Amino acid sequence: MSSFQGSSSNANSMSIPQEEFIVRIPRDTRRKFTMMKMGTGSALDFAKLGDQPVKIERENNLKEYKTANDLDLVPKFGAGSEYGKDLKEESRRKKYGIMLKKYNPEDQPWHLKVGSGKSAKRYKGVREGTITENTSYYIFTKASDGAFEAFPVEEWYNFTPVVKYKYLNSEEAEEEYSRRDKTFNYFSIMVKKRLKKEDETLDEDEKDTKGKKKGKKAKDLILTDKDDWDDMEMSDDDDDSDADKDEDDDTNKNKKKKQKGGPKKVVKNSKKNSDDEAVEESDEGDFDDKEVDYMSDSGSSSSLSDLGEEDKDKKYDEKGVDQEAGLRNILDSDAEDEEEEGEKEEADEDMDDKDEKKEDKKKEDDSSSSSSEDDSDIEKDAKLASAIFLQGGKKEKKDKKDKLESSLTIASETKTEQRIPTPDKLKDKSIKRRAETPDGKTPSLKKHKTDDNEGITEDAIRRYLMRKPMTTKDLLQKFKSKKLNMTNEKITHVIAQLLKKINPEKKTINKKLYLSLKKPE
Amino acid sequence: MSLDLEKAHEPRDVDISAAGRGVWLVKVPKYLSEQWKTCANGTEVGKLRISKPRVSSKPDIVFTSFDVSKKAGPVLDSNGLIMPTTSTLPKKPTMVGSKNHKFIVTNVGNQNLVVMSQLKTEIPGKDTYTERISVEGKVVQRAECHPIVDDQYKQLKKDQVQAQNTPQRQVKLLTTIVQSYKPVNDHISNEERKTKKVEKRSRAEKEKVMDVLFNAFEKHQFYNVKDLVGITKQPVPYLKEILKEICNYNMTAPHKNMWELKPEFRHYKSHDETT
Repeated sequence: MSSFQGSSSNANSMSIPQEEFIVRIPRDTRRKFTMMKMGTGSALDFAKLGDQPVKIERENNLKEYKTANDLDLVPKFGAGSEYGKDLKEESRRKKYGIMLKKYNPEDQPWHLKVGSGKSAKRYKGVREGTITENTSYYIFTKASDGAFEAFPVEEWYNFTPVVKYKYLNSEEAEEEYSRRDKTFNYFSIMVKKRLKKEDETLDEDEKDTKGKKKGKKAKDLILTDKDDWDDMEMSDDDDDSDADKDEDDDTNKNKKKKQKGGPKKVVKNSKKNSDDEAVEESDEGDFDDKEVDYMSDSGSSSSLSDLGEEDKDKKYDEKGVDQEAGLRNILDSDAEDEEEEGEKEEADEDMDDKDEKKEDKKKEDDSSSSSSEDDSDIEKDAKLASAIFLQGGKKEKKDKKDKLESSLTIASETKTEQRIPTPDKLKDKSIKRRAETPDGKTPSLKKHKTDDNEGITEDAIRRYLMRKPMTTKDLLQKFKSKKLNMTNEKITHVIAQLLKKINPEKKTINKKLYLSLKKPE
Repeated sequence: MSLDLEKAHEPRDVDISAAGRGVWLVKVPKYLSEQWKTCANGTEVGKLRISKPRVSSKPDIVFTSFDVSKKAGPVLDSNGLIMPTTSTLPKKPTMVGSKNHKFIVTNVGNQNLVVMSQLKTEIPGKDTYTERISVEGKVVQRAECHPIVDDQYKQLKKDQVQAQNTPQRQVKLLTTIVQSYKPVNDHISNEERKTKKVEKRSRAEKEKVMDVLFNAFEKHQFYNVKDLVGITKQPVPYLKEILKEICNYNMTAPHKNMWELKPEFRHYKSHDETT
């Protein structure tokens, strides 16, 4: 490029038409020049806009800045404000050497709006930092006197149109591209996407509400300490008499014994040969060997004195309970007793009913079991008492303790009967039980099976609701605390199903929905 | 401040009257731009000579930079204030005399480059300013101003490198005795302040203290004991005694170790008089 190296005189000598322009620094340097890179192929041309309004503003990131730096999150005055919080924060930052960058609106991206209303096009300009670092650009404009004015460019902004319409994201586009040969109508792609989106949002909404519910329920299901729960139990059982409670405890103890005996027995059986076992089982009314097995102070006399048919069931029963015990061996026995109360009561009732029936059959052969249940409470109680005392009388080897206990049992029985006094209800129950046991199998077996499966029965819920109004939360708590081998969701699900079946009365007290059942008159 | 920020985010009209104007975007070597920045406004810094050797071919453009080092006047910054002269600083190596540059013109291609200018004008008497934003034109031509590598340019580069490599701090031999003082922890001026501080606080009437407290709690909800001591000027045990009556002490996270009024004394929502 010798021509460039040549001086002006050289150029002059060639006598080529040439123009000379003076380049000067502008007189007014207050203007700050910015380069707007509008992006390749952008159709925006300011010269052809006509009289469309063009507005520009800085993106307001003040809120983001504040939240990012924990500034002004609490009010400065009035409620919730702390005295001297700002100063303290500042001193804290100073102490730890945190330099807070000041918020500068000049550093925020531009928002350019061309046109107005809905047809407005929007652009966002983000500053490009690297260009001006090592190079300097100048704008040369022609001044009125023919000279060039050189304005320094201080900043570069990259303007990109803000996309408002929906488009396929990279994954979706990939998917669509992969089946591009199979697509007939490309217009339907976006429609399909929109439909899908709507579905999803709907689903999400549902999920959201569900999630909320679940969340709420999960929140409701507060894990309480055992003590807390005991307290709750106590308060719940306030309406029950103390005697009843004691009784329950006693019966539970009995059960406990049996439970403890259960595994022992199983082990024994496994050691012994089957013949022996058969002999033992077949022996009716002869409880000597068993008594040795269960040797204890209280003795499970009443249950043991029951008729032989129940032995088998008991065994199953024990197994079931044993399994349960295995599940929750963490708990100490008392808590377990309390928790199992409901089930036990049921079982007791069952057994009592059985006893009753048996005795009835013995006493008055012609009367059917259902009719006996139709009888009034007092009558029944009397019968019961007489039956049991008769029994006691029959077996004179029983000591006093046993008798006392049995009387206590009676008390409890009468109590339970009083709690559910309707004959109709009892009848219902009995019918149900019979329905459950079509081929003479005892209900307790079945019952336990269901308990293992669910642990939540309609009866149990009914019982709870009859005792006092409860919220669903309370109910959940009840079953939750039973430490059933179920997930929370399953428990709630089962309860919800059962509640639907029961359809209890609903009442809102203190903005909480209480469910209750009237005690049938 | 916040109002100012609000204003900074206001949408502004863009003046697009000059949008049709075509401008050149010129990349300028650094030493030139540094020179130009120190120039007084309106200085002529160079000359563009455009010649067309043949009709069809591209024009040859030569940019001749003038020697502006003598013309450097008081430099105005963007606010129109005179910037301190840089004469005290070690002088940067600059090109002396006029010099020719290659001026290579390229097309913008499909890049859409628009020039925008911001003109801040302060409103006299007020603290705020108005900002005029206008589109100054569209880039129609890009150009690069290349220095021609000759001895002069090489010398300049050499000087620049040398200037860059001179260490900023150097060892200096001291010939005279340097007066040095032993550092003192506590100056006499501090002493006075200390004695003032130990002034004993006396107990005031309980009613009055409570009034002060209620007034304080009207302004903010949470207070530290230290701050309250400063506000009420009461001895700490006495103050705590009163605080226990009317306030709760927060021991947990969000407002730890702070006092707030007991709920029965609060009137934050309605801003009622708390008495």
